[in-house]
Amino acid sequence: MAQQPVITGLGVIASPGCGVATIWEAVAGQRDGLKPLTLFPSPRYGPVPVGEVQLDLLKLGAPRRASRTDRLGWLAAREAIQSAALPPEAFGDRAGVVLGSSVGGSFDSEGFLIKLIKEGKFHPRPTRFHECHSSAELIADSFGLFGPAMTVSTACSSGALAIATAAEMIQAGEADVMLAGGADSISRMTWGGFHALLLVDGQGCRPFDAARGGMSLGEGAAMLVLETEENAQRRGAKILARLSGWGASCDAHHVTAPHPEGAGALAAMRVALRRAGLDAAQIDYVNAHGTGTRDNDLAEAKALKALFDGRVPPFSSSKRFFGHSLAASGAIEAVLCIEALRHQQLPPNPGFSQVDPAIGMEPVRELTSTTLTHVMSNSFGFGGNNAVLIFSTPTSTATTRAAKPSPINVTGLGVIGPGAVTMRGITSPMPADQLSVRSCEPLPGAASLTPNQRRRLGHLHQMAVLAARASHTPVADQRVAVALGTGFGCLAEGAAFIENYVAKDEAEPMPSRFPGSVHNAPAGQIAMDLGSRGLNSAPTAGAITFECALWQAWRQLDAGEADVALAGATDELQNYPLAIGKRWGIWTDQTVPGEGAVVARLASGEASSPALARVTALRLGRYRRPFDAARETAWISKTVALSSIGILLSGGHGLPVLEPLYESMAQEISRRAGRTIEHQTYKQLCGEFHSASAFGFSVAVRLARERQCGVLLYTLSPRGGKALCLVQPALPALPA
Amino acid sequence: MPVSTTELKTRIIEALNLQDTTPEQIDDDAPLFGTGLGLDSIDALELVVMLEKHYSIIIKGIEEGGPAFRSVRALADFIGARRAGT
Repeated sequence: MAQQPVITGLGVIASPGCGVATIWEAVAGQRDGLKPLTLFPSPRYGPVPVGEVQLDLLKLGAPRRASRTDRLGWLAAREAIQSAALPPEAFGDRAGVVLGSSVGGSFDSEGFLIKLIKEGKFHPRPTRFHECHSSAELIADSFGLFGPAMTVSTACSSGALAIATAAEMIQAGEADVMLAGGADSISRMTWGGFHALLLVDGQGCRPFDAARGGMSLGEGAAMLVLETEENAQRRGAKILARLSGWGASCDAHHVTAPHPEGAGALAAMRVALRRAGLDAAQIDYVNAHGTGTRDNDLAEAKALKALFDGRVPPFSSSKRFFGHSLAASGAIEAVLCIEALRHQQLPPNPGFSQVDPAIGMEPVRELTSTTLTHVMSNSFGFGGNNAVLIFSTPTSTATTRAAKPSPINVTGLGVIGPGAVTMRGITSPMPADQLSVRSCEPLPGAASLTPNQRRRLGHLHQMAVLAARASHTPVADQRVAVALGTGFGCLAEGAAFIENYVAKDEAEPMPSRFPGSVHNAPAGQIAMDLGSRGLNSAPTAGAITFECALWQAWRQLDAGEADVALAGATDELQNYPLAIGKRWGIWTDQTVPGEGAVVARLASGEASSPALARVTALRLGRYRRPFDAARETAWISKTVALSSIGILLSGGHGLPVLEPLYESMAQEISRRAGRTIEHQTYKQLCGEFHSASAFGFSVAVRLARERQCGVLLYTLSPRGGKALCLVQPALPALPA
Repeated sequence: MPVSTTELKTRIIEALNLQDTTPEQIDDDAPLFGTGLGLDSIDALELVVMLEKHYSIIIKGIEEGGPAFRSVRALADFIGARRAGT
């Protein structure tokens, strides 16, 4: 039976303040949440209004050893857990977290760069929390969540997509309780980036207004506690709302601009309605993405008119309350939708004064009491990435459609890498050095890219596109989902943009580098290259990044939302992690940094014909410290019969700190199975990088085929993540 | 002071990383966007940066530069007019 996720806790921090009550008060009071930027000086753009959180986060109790984004996320998580009144026994293996973050610890890392570029000092400590996944791990560690921990980084739709992913985890029975939401701080990167794209309204955003001139940047975090209804009822929790539907899509149109007719937005809203089992006419309110840019608001309005056949229900944008807080925005607006349901009031749309004739509709002007049963929340991001959530009152009767978990076939595989060991120099502004690396340059097949792809796309994006092409050939009318993870993201693009921004004091920005710097840029490029308009996700979770992508892709097949799903991961060699890793002693003679891209083409077990292999099990989680091989083997045997494992394929020969852990697991699994299970590794072939387990997956497919046995791909992350994936030989194809 | 279209083409090639294109291959009157060189709105933003960097012309909204981005000649005329203060 399908488990319909219910919401039992909320937490939020944004420019109006900290706490759900404070935020709702600001909304009810129609208070403009924008104030001049104070977080850092901006000589070129000046103190343009933003949704900045001007609170002392440490005084509020946030952890000291964390980035600004981490602290925002942690504060929202604490409130959500408190408001759900979760008892201690609710935590543990059956509780997890999915967080959306677009910039992660960028604001703090920028401090390192400024010192390096302006003063020539190499002090990398502020980069410790750079990764987008840092906040989710902090939350998991702080509150004792040992179930799945994943970060979704699809720019401005991240928060909503994270909540949708958590809902799928609840539905699939991966967890009883999930924390889900989004967190992002303002950073120089996004500040300079949106200005470079000429997308910022100097007067503050005016969503849907005739004179609107762009967006306003914001920051913050919001978290929801999702549970199975059964779990909530068993513990007597108060159900605040239901998450009755969710949907995702990709425009596959442009890196920044939405499809002019809002085609992708419309598709995502339709998926959400379908999964909720609702008609458009049953939606009582839409919390629009409504950034205030000319293009977004017009395209979104067109999509709304098409969905509702001209009878658009009350709608409003909340961006003038909070600014556009990127990955946090979808989560903050989710909280607002749930509060709207609870208060039975429509939130207004500050910043609006005059109807745009091209839009021909006006948003909610004032807080209005009404009857609300089902409300929709839209979030759209760079790369044409769309995510839509539908929340319903606790007593409503939406029937969320079940998704049937079944094994999947691997029907294609594209691998870029591994390269031979070569020397690579680290160059200025870092202290010069030489390192052994496994590079994928020169890129095989680069000549097949279009002239625009060659001049525009960075190395990482090119690797991803080439791997995807090798795995899949588009077929007309086929619905294709893409989940392409990346551990570090598009470092070369981000570094080029921000180095230039810092060195030139905001002059001569690089508009094309900014949209290329988001984690979902390679996934978006694949969508444009192959015309895939289904889910387009970019998960990130350290060493288990690929497994998270596989998980998301698989669910799309289970839910019947895609005919084919591409799951992959990619990371690139870049000066900063090389230099910082050298300083921190990570790179040694045994641990050679690498790079690559792997994309696997997946289809449901029934639908597909000849396959390379089958994937029959996949589980994500976090291990406890000290590491206990017996406990972890028990965790594996809950999902996988040890008798089905012919080969254990681990992430050994990578980080030295993980070697004893993998060794102890190989011994323990053999002991419990009562026979010696062969232990193999793959990092000696591809080098060490976050998404190396994607390469491991390609090795697992090959081993399962050659040896005709089950291969357990087992991955540990130094920061606590774990994943298992069982790859088995393909079933013999049925005679035609 | 008018700007030569050849100089402008060199700047465009550099700003947009048009690796395989030479100034001779760009027609003075051919459309820059859509067809022709296959440029898009992000390229227009790069041209905005190029105009500021080399010609000290500041464009605040992409609509403002719209007509100027029609062709190389239109862009040269736009630069000339801005420099003449008209």
